[in-house]
Amino acid sequence: MGKMKPAVHRYSLVTRLAHWVWVVAFLVLVSSGLAIFNAAPYLDASDKSNPARRVLSIDAPQDGVGTTTVFGRTFTTTGWLGWTDDGMGGKSARAFPGWITIPGPYDLADGRRWHLFFGWVAAICWLAWVISAALKGHLLQMLLHPRDLPKLWPMQAYYLKLRKDPPPHGRYNPLQKAAYTAIGFVIAPLVVITGLALSPGVDATFPFLTAMFGGRQFARLWHFVGMGLLIGFVFVHVFQVLTQGFANQMRSMITGWYRPSPHEGSEP
Amino acid sequence: MNRKLFVASSIGAALSACSPIGTALNGNDFVHNVIGTAQGLNHLVIGTRGMAREYRDADIDAQFRVNGLDTPSDARYTDYVARNFASYRLVVDGAVARKQAFTLPQLQAVAQRTQITRHDCVEGWSAIGKWSGVRLGDVLDLVQPTADAKYVVFRCLDVDPSGLPYYESLDIQQARHPQALLALRLNDKALDPDHGAPVRLRVPTQLGYKSAKWVQHIEVVSSMRAIYGGAGGYWEDQGYEWYAGI
Repeated sequence: MGKMKPAVHRYSLVTRLAHWVWVVAFLVLVSSGLAIFNAAPYLDASDKSNPARRVLSIDAPQDGVGTTTVFGRTFTTTGWLGWTDDGMGGKSARAFPGWITIPGPYDLADGRRWHLFFGWVAAICWLAWVISAALKGHLLQMLLHPRDLPKLWPMQAYYLKLRKDPPPHGRYNPLQKAAYTAIGFVIAPLVVITGLALSPGVDATFPFLTAMFGGRQFARLWHFVGMGLLIGFVFVHVFQVLTQGFANQMRSMITGWYRPSPHEGSEP
Repeated sequence: MNRKLFVASSIGAALSACSPIGTALNGNDFVHNVIGTAQGLNHLVIGTRGMAREYRDADIDAQFRVNGLDTPSDARYTDYVARNFASYRLVVDGAVARKQAFTLPQLQAVAQRTQITRHDCVEGWSAIGKWSGVRLGDVLDLVQPTADAKYVVFRCLDVDPSGLPYYESLDIQQARHPQALLALRLNDKALDPDHGAPVRLRVPTQLGYKSAKWVQHIEVVSSMRAIYGGAGGYWEDQGYEWYAGI
């Protein structure tokens, strides 16, 4: 492999702050969101609740038994889903266990408080970061450009060890750009919008939002699917950080200083 | 593969660490108040002026899901039911020029409105019903709120197991919303006891707990501070948002 390049100051203070605020907000939003889900542990592909259009339901058909039904197929999930930790040292009929929800013991009012507050934190943080990144000019370096499209497969081939070297690229490789663009500018905004769309006030004030997703319960379903995609991204992201020079990656997101790999060019 | 397991378990560990930390912070009054500030932002951005979607007859749930506290079973309520609410009066008083006590026939004589709207429960489920009754704004016009009137408080006949009665409130602007209804009928039949007979509120632009059932007394006030917990409703006193548009 090539020689080491000198360290560069890659991440601005705003980017680093935004990153760690999102880490906290994301964990709180998932935990409190699951707490809210527990109040009605099913998802329907419809406007009003409609068991005939049920995509997912998590139940306790009897004490001590938890089940999860996905597209009509039922699995026993005792201990993990349906009959779980009640957050107070016991077990009860509860979709998601108390060890993963905020707050632990069932409390819809407080779950909503945490969720609605950190929704604002994440959204304001996103807006501040986009404005800052656009003004500083590094936003475009992250966004997928049509000329990156032919490089997507060569990059994947490199990760699969079908290719010795990655295709030449700028600060971010084409797969990173695709992931950041999809997550930051499609999926995360959609999660915020579907979350708004499932509430009656938004449906009344901005009816096109709720209608766009197929109604209130459908928006709730999309909101949940969006959460799943964000969790999927976080898994891949953390895996990449662990495998692509953990110390260098962590230092760069804390101090800003990053040592580029030999393949990385300086052009966007 | 070890690394993948490590990623999965570290994200799992981060999430599971959230719950005890969150639960501990949740008990802190300062944190509780800070995270409660989202309510004001939501009220500001979403508001309560929008019109809830109105549906067709085909969308109605014939078996409309029952929400809320148990149907009252005390002597006063069972007596009301047994005598078909003949002695029931809806008292409207407080900061008004002409307080009144309406009998059911008197309420039925006011212009009736019908709307087919969706009820969105805070738990997450939704049901659609056809509601008929009197516009709350029309009742306010009859009693004429005074200049210092700010809120409309609904006191109900149901009482929780610890003896606390249900109540709710709207501000004057929300109360005058054209879809805010004092419903007397559901799906073309007089309200049954489980759905709030004889009179329930319907506020389709907010979550279901605002739509108080078994309303017996409407009080127009300038402040809600002295009413029960002071937060403007039975569930609000237990931490739910007074602004229930989201």
